[in-house]
Order: sequence, then structure tokens, then C-alpha cells
Amino acid sequence: MSERKGLNDYQVLVNEDRVHGTLYTEQQVFDDEMARIFETTWVYVGHESEVANAGDFVTRMIGRQPVVLTRDQDGQCHVLYNRCPHRGNKVCQVEKGNARSLQCSYHGWGFGMDGALQGVPFNRGYGEDFDKSGLGMVGVARVGSYGGFVFASLVTDGPTLEAHLGHGMRMIDMLNGLAPEGSISLNAGWMKHKFQSNWKIVTENQVDGYHAMFVHGSLVRANDNWATVRDRRESSSARVRDLGGGHTEIDHAADYGDQGVMFRWSGAIAPAKLPVYMQAMTQAYGEADATRRLILGPPHAVIFPNLMLAEMNIQILQPVSPRETLQFTTPVVLKGGAELNARTLRRCEGAMGPAGFIIADDAEVGSQVQEGLMASKPEWVVLKRGLTSEQREEDGTISAGLMDETSQRAIWRRYRELMTTAS
Amino acid sequence: MNAPIDRQAIEEFVYREALLQDEHRYDEWEALWAEDGLYWVPAGSGDIDPATQVSYIYDNRRRLASRIGQLNTGKRHSQAPQSGLRRLISNMVITQIDGLVQVECNFHLIEARRGELRHWAGRTTYKLRAAGDGFLMVLKKVVLVNANDPIVNLAFLI
Repeated sequence: MSERKGLNDYQVLVNEDRVHGTLYTEQQVFDDEMARIFETTWVYVGHESEVANAGDFVTRMIGRQPVVLTRDQDGQCHVLYNRCPHRGNKVCQVEKGNARSLQCSYHGWGFGMDGALQGVPFNRGYGEDFDKSGLGMVGVARVGSYGGFVFASLVTDGPTLEAHLGHGMRMIDMLNGLAPEGSISLNAGWMKHKFQSNWKIVTENQVDGYHAMFVHGSLVRANDNWATVRDRRESSSARVRDLGGGHTEIDHAADYGDQGVMFRWSGAIAPAKLPVYMQAMTQAYGEADATRRLILGPPHAVIFPNLMLAEMNIQILQPVSPRETLQFTTPVVLKGGAELNARTLRRCEGAMGPAGFIIADDAEVGSQVQEGLMASKPEWVVLKRGLTSEQREEDGTISAGLMDETSQRAIWRRYRELMTTAS
Repeated sequence: MNAPIDRQAIEEFVYREALLQDEHRYDEWEALWAEDGLYWVPAGSGDIDPATQVSYIYDNRRRLASRIGQLNTGKRHSQAPQSGLRRLISNMVITQIDGLVQVECNFHLIEARRGELRHWAGRTTYKLRAAGDGFLMVLKKVVLVNANDPIVNLAFLI
């Protein structure tokens, strides 16, 4: 058993240019992370389109805790702890559904989609002055939504969702802005992928512009038409960017903008093959702006700590233990983009998930990293790349070359902030 | 009218297909496919609409060639080294539909990887077209018993 780490230890274990290997392996660290990060800060719970109708619900996890995202009869979204206030049973057992009320399988207590206790079987046993008002399913402290993405925080105090997201809002806008109707749906189902590695290995890798030729070299050799791998060359003008708040991105704007070609992010499909979508985009945004949007494409970003805007895929990261992480992946469905959506679905299957040409190899190397980190020497993981050539932008973000570790440092800086604040 | 079913020939085809997968004989396995073949492993459940719902694998012939090409580099980390594989096949039901032979069967596959024995199980549906003195696969659909649960890497041929 490792000793409980004090607040100051994380100050020591996370430096600007290196982090301690034990942060990826120890149970106590994991428990602290769940309490101080996932069960404190804003985390992504689900998308409004997943609970489009009154009575819809989806079950999710916030850190170690099961929750349910619901929509009530008035159209309001709620995030409730998924626990019966009576004897503790998990109320919603299935991952999604539609119901008039949520009923506990143990003693039949029924709850509204807002969590209020509606019915108690044989309630005379509780006496005449039984007060149901304090016995509803409990809502989490704060729920907020931006651009259709619903976030929750289990604590009352802290920055607003907008303050938390900061430049991350621009990433969400960028994605929604590829839809002629300005919004997306997440209704194409989920790949569920079990990684045998720490959640931070998965997160760091998501915005790592350095690994592609090594981890994904087999794909380049077999099929060089996979844009995100093909474009990961040292001479690329793409940048990694620290967006603040632990949010970070690989910013393709310079690279795609230089080339001036639409849809490089979707295998460079000819616009003529998507006539309905092209017309809808032009109608919605005007020709010049539509063209700009379709050149720059979707974001490649991590919204700390658990949402990945992985170009035309949305991923939710769910830590399970120091050495296990679940990654849920679904293709982005653009409202008004049927032609492109069909293509996005097939591309998602090609690249992502446990059988994907890209992500399966990320998962494998992630599990190798996890094993390597069990060696106690050297003690530190090195994050120096690009440290001296970072560029502070006018908007407050920090950018660096595609292969620089500015994005990893961004994640760890926020990590240290949260881990050294008592929850 | 359908030709009479040669059950033995069909069983031999399915067993050979299994053997080629177990032994990572990628090119020989690829040669079992028809040009219009579809290799499909649904996510969530076996009755999703693949036009709107995501699958773990939904390979047309061209995508399948990329999959084999990547495995053949020997550098796909998720299959380098290759997993140890052996699968059992049983409960076979053979019918004829639209001029194709349809085979449904259960499988239980043991994968040895990273020091673990992993179990994979499910029901496979084949659609086979008679070609020459054998068959070509027009469809192989694999519905995992845990299609709705998180799964580890599925980078070998299932």
C-alpha cells in the first residue's frame, strides 16, 4: 500500500517539463483524481440529442459514480445520481430508454424524470404524515449545456461552465458549424473500447502529433490515403495548441488553409459528390464562409477531462482503474448533412474503436506504456519537446509545432491545479 | 429451384475459413471473399441498421483489402506479435436463400494475448456463393455475445 499523498506531493510530482511515473500506476493517485478532478470539475455527460424527447434517458458515469441524464415533460434536462434514495439500488439498469417515470426494481418506488418521488407502493406503512418531498433521486449540483453538449459538476462552487470551457467553446462551435442546421446529433450508437492503460495515457495520446509515423506506420504502408496519419509529418504547418483549462488541440488550420482544399479531413472527397450538402452549406453560410468551414474542417481537441472532439467522431473517456480506461466512440451526425453522414459513419468504423486501423494500435501501445511504467527507473516521464519554441498567441492560447509536447503539458498543468486543490 | 445442399462441402469450407483465421494466413483468407463481399461485426446488437448505426467492422471488399494489407506489414502493433487463436464452431444450421447458401453457427474463440486468455463468443452468419468447385463469402456477419459491452482490441480476424 502506498501512503496517502498530501496536496503538496502533486506539486512535486508534476513539473512543467516532466511528470512522475507513479501518477499512471498507483491506486491512491487514481482515487484522488476521481475525487479532485472527475467528481469536482465540469465533466461531459451526454448530448442533448441523445435525450431528444420527453422521457428519454441515458446512463453514464461521472468519475466512479453512476448518473442518469434525463429529459422531463417540460423539455428540461436533468442529471441525477442513479441511486434509489430508499435502499440504494441503481434505478436505471439499461444504458438508454424512454419512460413515463423511472421505477426502482427493488421495492417499486417511482420517480419523475426530474427525480421527484412520485409513488411508493403500500405507502400506508410509512404513516399518515409521510413526506415524499425529500426522498427523490438527487440531482447533481450543477448542470450546464453548450452547443448541445451537456456537462455536469458534482460540486456547487467553482467556475461557470462557460468559464471552464473557455476556448473549448470555439471547438464545439467549429464542429456545429459544419452542419447546415448548425447542430449535430449523436444517435448512431457507440463503439465501446476497453484500453488496458491509464486514462491520462489515452488523453495525452489524443493530442500527440509525434507518434503517428511509429504507432500508425503500418497503416501508412498499407493505405496512404488516411489523412490524419498522412499529414503527421515534421514539415507540417499544423500546430498543437494549449487552449487553457487543460483543453488542447491539434490545429490543422494552417496546414489545411495553405492547401485550400475542401474536405481534406474526410479523405479529400470531391465536393461534387456531396451536392445536397454543399448546397445546404452555401445556403446557410454563404459561399465564401461555407468554403472556409469545409477547408478547415472539424476540431481535433480534448475538452478536459473526458470529452474528445476527434474530428468527425465524439469520444467519451471513462476511467475505470489506474490501468483500465473505457473509450466510447460515435460518429458525428450533422443535421442537414445526410450525404456526408453516411461517409462519416464508414470512416469512423475504418479508423476508430477496437478493430479500427488507427485506434486499435493506439490502445495496444497504450498498454505497452502502462507495462513500461511499472519499471521504477527512470522516475520521470519527459515532456520537454518544444518547450523553448512555444508561441503565445494574442487570444491567450499557446501554440507550438505539430510534434511538440505543448498539448501534453497543457493537460498536466490543469491536472496539477486541480490535484493540489482540496475537494 | 435450389440445388441440393452438400453439407459436408459447406462444413469443410467453414472449418477451413476458421483455420486460416486462427493461423493468420491472411492472403489465403482474403481469397475466400467475393468481390461484393461484406465483413460485418455489429456494435450494440445484431439487429442494428448499418446504414445509420456504427459497427465495429463494416468492411466492403476494398476496406477488407486495407485491413489485410495492414496486417501483412507485420507492423500493426495490435497484432505484432500475432495473437494465439483457436476457435470451435458448432450448432450449424444450413439453408438456401436467394440462390446463396446461408450458414449460421456458434463459435467460441480463445485468444492468447499479453499473457491472458481472452474469450470471444457469438453467432456467425455466412452467405456463400458457389464458385468453381467451392464457395466464396458474400457475407460474414459476426454477432458477439457481448456486442453491447466494452471490448478489448479486435485486431485479429474474427
